[in-house]
Amino acid sequence: MVTSSGRAAVYGTLLAGCLGLAPFGTPAIAQVLEIATDQSPVGLDPHVATAFSTALITSTVYEGLTAIDKDLRVVPSLAASWTVSPDGLVYTFKLRPGATFHNGRALTPQDVIANVERVRDPKTASPFASRFTGIKTMAATAADTLTLTLDAPSAPFLVQLASLFIVAPESAATLGRRPDGTGPFRFREWVPDTYILLEKQPGYWDKGLPYLDGLKFNIVPESSAREAGIAGGAYSLLPSLDGATAAALANRPGVKLMAAQDLAYSLIGVNASKPPFDKPEAREALNLAIDRAQLVQAAYYGHGVAGGPLSPALTEWALPVSDFPCYRPDPASAKQKLAAVGLTLPVKVTLNVLGSLQQVVDVAQVVQAQANKAGFDMQLNVQEQGRFVADWRASNFEAFASLNAGSPDPDDYFGRAFQSDGATNVFKYASPELDKLLIAARTEQNQATRKNLYDQAQRILACTGPAIDLAYGTLYTAVRSNVVGFEPIATRSLRTLRETKVAK
Amino acid sequence: MIRAAAIRMLELMLVGFGVSVLTFLMIHLVPGDAAQLMLGGADATPERIAALRHTLGLDRSLVVQYGIWIGHVLQGDFGTSVWTGRPVLEEIAGRVPVTVELTCLSLLVALVFAVPAGCLMATMRRPGPDVMLRILTIAGVTVPSFWLGTMLLYGAGVLAPGVPMIGWVRFSDDPAGNLQRMILPTIALSLPVLTALSRVVRAAMLEALAQDYVRTARAKGISEGRVVFRHALRNALIPFTTTAGIMAGYLFGGSVVVEQVFALPGLGRLMVGAIAERNYPLIQAAILLATAVFVLVNFAVDLIYVAIDPRAREA
Amino acid sequence: MTRNPVLLLGAALVAAQAAAALAAPWLAPFDPNAQDILARLHAPDAIHWLGTDNFGRDTLARALYGYRTLFAIAATSVLAALAAGGTIGVLAAWRGGWADHVAMRLMDVLFAFPIILLAIGIIAVLGPGALSTAIAIGVVYTPIFARTLRGPALLLRETDYVAAARATGASDTRILLRHLLPNLTPVILVQASLSLSTAILVEASLSFLGLGTRPPTASLGRMLAESRNFLTFSPWPAVFSGLAILLAALGFNLLGDGLQDALDPRLRSRS
Repeated sequence: MVTSSGRAAVYGTLLAGCLGLAPFGTPAIAQVLEIATDQSPVGLDPHVATAFSTALITSTVYEGLTAIDKDLRVVPSLAASWTVSPDGLVYTFKLRPGATFHNGRALTPQDVIANVERVRDPKTASPFASRFTGIKTMAATAADTLTLTLDAPSAPFLVQLASLFIVAPESAATLGRRPDGTGPFRFREWVPDTYILLEKQPGYWDKGLPYLDGLKFNIVPESSAREAGIAGGAYSLLPSLDGATAAALANRPGVKLMAAQDLAYSLIGVNASKPPFDKPEAREALNLAIDRAQLVQAAYYGHGVAGGPLSPALTEWALPVSDFPCYRPDPASAKQKLAAVGLTLPVKVTLNVLGSLQQVVDVAQVVQAQANKAGFDMQLNVQEQGRFVADWRASNFEAFASLNAGSPDPDDYFGRAFQSDGATNVFKYASPELDKLLIAARTEQNQATRKNLYDQAQRILACTGPAIDLAYGTLYTAVRSNVVGFEPIATRSLRTLRETKVAK
Repeated sequence: MIRAAAIRMLELMLVGFGVSVLTFLMIHLVPGDAAQLMLGGADATPERIAALRHTLGLDRSLVVQYGIWIGHVLQGDFGTSVWTGRPVLEEIAGRVPVTVELTCLSLLVALVFAVPAGCLMATMRRPGPDVMLRILTIAGVTVPSFWLGTMLLYGAGVLAPGVPMIGWVRFSDDPAGNLQRMILPTIALSLPVLTALSRVVRAAMLEALAQDYVRTARAKGISEGRVVFRHALRNALIPFTTTAGIMAGYLFGGSVVVEQVFALPGLGRLMVGAIAERNYPLIQAAILLATAVFVLVNFAVDLIYVAIDPRAREA
Repeated sequence: MTRNPVLLLGAALVAAQAAAALAAPWLAPFDPNAQDILARLHAPDAIHWLGTDNFGRDTLARALYGYRTLFAIAATSVLAALAAGGTIGVLAAWRGGWADHVAMRLMDVLFAFPIILLAIGIIAVLGPGALSTAIAIGVVYTPIFARTLRGPALLLRETDYVAAARATGASDTRILLRHLLPNLTPVILVQASLSLSTAILVEASLSFLGLGTRPPTASLGRMLAESRNFLTFSPWPAVFSGLAILLAALGFNLLGDGLQDALDPRLRSRS
């Protein structure tokens, strides 16, 4: 017999039971900055994982010898100072006094050497390996001094060192899940798909920093959820916002939007060893098909600019897009060029799309619509991240749509992606003319000469290169109004969190 | 009764075995594998992939892998997550409270409101509004919970922009905040259940109210309220209980999408993510456990049903 | 007919939507994939009756084509489930004994999984897409039809009518087709309608989670999911895509409910 009061008792117990099941978690840290990001990192080993989702976190936990500041200049980090020999071959770094790993041990030059060796080791399979193969010898010339000798002068060397995060060599085996570096924050907890919790590193070498006691990276894939979260105060920082969410937060009380020109860019990459894109005219035709202004409206919600091979953020290097004639949309001309090299219209193309990023999917749909009006018959193959990356790596594509991280130094991108033996030249592109320019530019010390060489490279790559560069977004970061001291950096690094405070 | 229960238990174990085999097969037939995905694809040399596959035991025959897995499972060891190296049970356990809270609250809200709603509808005599109500309740059952959730979120954003209605805070950290964030997801998830249950209550009530003993009670002068509550309602409980059991399955499926809409770190989202990541041990354990709970709930409902309704014992 | 307004309304909804789905290529005012970026995120107006999405694609056109996908997948999967499950259930009831037991236990295993989980798992194996979704939903609904048809089949097996037919030497197949099937028709119709209703919701949920048809094909569930990205700019694509799903499922649900009343007085809900 179930009486009404009996039933009430059952309901009451049910309710209490449900709520009481919520576990009493680990003790709270004093002042933790709640951050919300859209993707879970796929591993946290900074030598191996290069995705944005990983870089956000590793940029607060690790440091390199040098760092890139918000003006995209090289500044000292773990190397307090350095000297370069006049011939550009010998670099002597004085290490930061007081720098320690999160396990307590002090940083030594041997650690840096071990790091370089780890990155170069084929077993590690690091995508950064090719950046450091030019180091001939490494030696610890004093307790706090490291000397590196290069094969040949390398203009981008100091920039490249900023991407080499120094890990504690003894923790190498578990770095994917448990970071161990020298940075202002150290790893505390990772609840997969939910959050990653970092806490203040007590013995950090820059006394007084960081101001915050902890960082909590909440994984929140839905932009509407992140938007509602920061508007309501649940989250205090949203890094790397897409245009739509940024526009939605534009006039929200209590929320501040900070902008930086992104280094990252959306692109269509093509396979230059297979038809139809083995012909430069076909590549140019695709450029002519695309209306970049409309693409920015649709996929970036107006928050971006068309760009060539180099980001407009690189004010010293990038040529304006007005220099590239094929960037003016002209579908009729595109069709002509395709027909002129003997291709039957419409030209069938399958476009692999990185499905895990909504922005890339949006870009792909716009490109498809535009290309199909200009003599192409483009089909989309939206893939999940693993499959996409595998096909990309194996050059198993006719064309792909993706979002790539840029770099503060042109050689980092051009050298690896477009030089015929480049480490990430999945396009199978080979241009002896370009190779000559790139090799010369890498060792060139004179800034003006270097700029000239890269200008020529850009002109070659923009219209007939294997990468059809589309747009560079505005990198927005949303913060609550009471968050001070944060500066967004175009590389998407969050290193300025060390100086960030939450005012009351 | 004991004999019936024992036979059901045996059948349950057989079904359990079948479920475990199917789960295992399903996951291992997924193309692409964890080793390649773990290495991020771009950095995966064939040697590295092969080495990792060996470490994870992926290079042995399916039968052997199944045997190893089920052996561990029976000892309570569900393996470690491919990504974080933590025991899978720990990771699932972390998400369970969220899903349990959502489904329990939804079921509770549905139960609490369905009974009075159903009674009210049963007392509606005129055919016009009655048909309208019927159509409305069927509509209520068919409303997609992820659409309702999205609309509610939009409405909340427009009407109460500064109020946090999304995300998750632990009940132990902030009870008010936790419940506040549960309001919208609960409404979205419970509506179909509520309407379905109220229809059941209404139908059963109508049937009960037409019975002789009710007329007798009325003739004896007992008030209408007492007639409804004490006599008719009891009989409504039987189909109510069975429907509630069916609702458990709906609630689970519904919570997967509602968790997506409201960014709740529950079991549903864990599973959808784990499949993309090819996190075999995690996905296997999650499906197995979720199905086990589902089966047990239905088993319990069956038992309750048999206990309540003597007629069912004959079947 | 007027005594059963629910059936009427359900049938009308289903007929209208099926017609719209079939006639989509002629009814749609625009190509569903045609982008008009300058006209993006418009509210309903004279040119775009239901407004446009973030690429300027006409929502009405996409909804119509979305109906096509939805109905095609739901119908295929439920029909397949009916064929497979129905056959299994009826044959199990017919043969009885050991075969019946094994078959129904296999169905129990499938039935034990929560619907969404099993569907997600199957799609993970086959890869996302329209065909995979149809197969997944078909597999998931098979045990429902097996169970539903087994009961009546068992009862019918024991009737004098069937015994007489057997005595006159009629083959099993003949008996099944001529005697069993017509009697099972009411149950089949009701269950199929109700299953179509829930199958539509399952397909929409799977598309919502990104597991259904791939972009840029119009799919109501995915339209709803994507519309959340620009909800604050224009809620209209979200409103209409969800409404379309609701109406589709509602139509079949009302139809099934009405049929239940009309065809089987024992199952009728008192009104």
